[in-house]
Amino acid sequence: MMAPSASRTAAHTASRDRAAWLLLAPFLALVVVFTLWPLAGAVLLAGQQTFGPGTSRFVGLANFRGVLADPLFWQALQNTIVFTLGSVLIQLPIALALAMLLNQPGLKGRSFFRLVLFSPVMVGVVYVGMIFFVLLQKRTGLINQLLAMLLPSWDINFAWLEHWIMLAMILASLWQYTGFNMVYFLAALQSVPSELQEAARIDGASWWKRFRHVTLPAIIPVGSFVVLLSIIGSFQIFELPFILLQGNAGVDNKGLTIVGYLYQTGFQSGDLGYASALGWVIALVLGVCALAQRVLSARAEAARSTSAPRKAPAPALAPALARQPSGGNP
Amino acid sequence: MWTFARMHAELYAPAVERWNAKQPTAATRIDLSLLGVLAVEQRMMSAFLSGLPSADLIEAERRIAARAFAGPIEAVGFLDLTDRIERDGLRDKINPSSFTPWSKSGRVFGLPHDVHPMMLAYRADIVEAAGIDVSTIKTWDDFVRVLSPLLKNPDGSRRDDRMLLNLWETQIDMIEALTLQAGGGAIDSKGLPMLEHEANARAISHIALWTRGASPIAAEVAYFDGTGHKLMRDGFVIATFAPDWMCNFWRKEVPQLAGKLKLMPLPAWDVGGARTSVWGGTMLGIPRTAKDPDALWEFAKHLYLSRELAQELYVKGDIITPVRELWDDPVFDAPDPFFGGQRKGRMYIELAPQVPERFSSPFGALALARLQSATSEVCAAAREMQATSIEPLLPIAREALRRAQADTMRHVRRNRFFAELSEQSAPAGGAP
Repeated sequence: MMAPSASRTAAHTASRDRAAWLLLAPFLALVVVFTLWPLAGAVLLAGQQTFGPGTSRFVGLANFRGVLADPLFWQALQNTIVFTLGSVLIQLPIALALAMLLNQPGLKGRSFFRLVLFSPVMVGVVYVGMIFFVLLQKRTGLINQLLAMLLPSWDINFAWLEHWIMLAMILASLWQYTGFNMVYFLAALQSVPSELQEAARIDGASWWKRFRHVTLPAIIPVGSFVVLLSIIGSFQIFELPFILLQGNAGVDNKGLTIVGYLYQTGFQSGDLGYASALGWVIALVLGVCALAQRVLSARAEAARSTSAPRKAPAPALAPALARQPSGGNP
Repeated sequence: MWTFARMHAELYAPAVERWNAKQPTAATRIDLSLLGVLAVEQRMMSAFLSGLPSADLIEAERRIAARAFAGPIEAVGFLDLTDRIERDGLRDKINPSSFTPWSKSGRVFGLPHDVHPMMLAYRADIVEAAGIDVSTIKTWDDFVRVLSPLLKNPDGSRRDDRMLLNLWETQIDMIEALTLQAGGGAIDSKGLPMLEHEANARAISHIALWTRGASPIAAEVAYFDGTGHKLMRDGFVIATFAPDWMCNFWRKEVPQLAGKLKLMPLPAWDVGGARTSVWGGTMLGIPRTAKDPDALWEFAKHLYLSRELAQELYVKGDIITPVRELWDDPVFDAPDPFFGGQRKGRMYIELAPQVPERFSSPFGALALARLQSATSEVCAAAREMQATSIEPLLPIAREALRRAQADTMRHVRRNRFFAELSEQSAPAGGAP
């Protein structure tokens, strides 16, 4: 027979568990209805061929086989990777350089420059697409007009959006998101202990050595996080080419991105099963990227731990990480 | 009822009011809603896919409607109107080519709203000042020859250029219109791609020669934005493709062109060939889930087939009705000052019987995208070889179209319904 106190404890625990489940129930219901159920539906859908209202059949893994044998998928993947590399390899070094400039001690107007550089991200990507669509027009676009003014031999009908769509996308993305990434780097730079910088300076370390051996190791966790966000955001690129190319994939599908192809197959051709399989392939690619980021971060952290005493997370960085956007940024 | 065009909504409002006044109960009264094109598309497809009710009448633009015709015929979300159309004698009353975009396997799923014949709008002020008589232009070769004196600096590097035609390798609507006029097109009557058709090779070779050859005569002027309107006003291009509805667009958006433009039939590909093509199209369909299809059918006829609406459609929208028995209405003979006093309604009506047939398919968007890619490929070749005629471009066009066809067919074959059709059908293509 259970002692009265033990019985009371058990009852209290059960009551507390019930209360916890009750409080969690609304959240869990939302997750089940809006996340788990659609995910399960997407798994089932990827195994079906759909065609027109109410018409489908089970095809097993045929959609996945179709995706892997589809040249348009590979072209879309290649285009997306090029855009991603452009975003990461061009945008992030510029963002870091700007952050370092703004992090200079005694810089006047820091808040102003930070606002100016950050402000493009406050403009929606659709507007950015529309602005660049106008800027890059053949004859009337400001960019061709300007180049024709500077270079007399410049072809004013230069077709940016037809033959250099990827460059146009990278430029637009660069304009919009460099300031956004700069803010992450700025927060990270402000968390680098000034005494370490000072000690290195006193030891006669050059600017490059201070950057290489003091600054860079300290901002690697944030850097890898920003890289991951940029990769995820770049892989999700859809609105920008959609606006720049007016809903098409461009000449020779040069502007076809992986999500654009998903939209084309699912919502234009009505092949929802195939689009779902494409979605899972994208998820797989992004999952691998996230995993790689975690592994690399862990290794970098381990290397740091062995070479220096472990430090607490920088307070300046915590709010930035806590506010990270769910979709990422290209 | 859902419609996607403000002008349609404004035109229909009085007819809806008249209809509702005669209805004894609320059950058969019509509530008209104006939605964006994408909203109509998304709501319509959501309703059809889920089997849930939508509006009882949906006015759909051509490419939206095509999505509803996927799958087997019994799965089409719209009600089959064929028997009603036959019973009420509409097959003979309506221009035949207006039915085909809304048809699948011989069954009709929408009541046609328009015909949309296409002409060329040209800068009459410039052409007439040069003493050129466009009535001598019968073919595209004539067009280039007769208007060539108006070309200015066609190397594209100067600001005072003038080109003859608004056409570019990415203007897929124009590419489709020209292939249709030539006797080709992207989709055949079974809904299958027909990109390899010889007429398509001929059309895209000409497009490449005109836009990217050694002596280009065509350049792009965007139809729907301010930059394009400015180039139109500046007279950068002499001629632009003009379906009937485009006249209304220019009238409202570029009023500075009033009196400067005139219309002429499209030059034919060959002497005696079709002098028009087509761009755009709308239908009115009744979803299968509609509660009272008979009453809705009566309303659809009341709305689309009345003389009052035909007159309003032309007077306020410049669109000619597909109802042939209304073509004798004097409204179509009124001179239009915007187009130099031409009786443009009559001109469009005279061309309406020549409007080529177009067919809907869920693979239509993909086929057109591949057609555009093939055109770009030929354009690149034209530029590289500095082409002066279409002869060296034709084999390149045929090969590009063969690959475009193969690409599109790979998607078709993944689909069991269309795969069956493609196996039954003869190979696409052949002489025009």
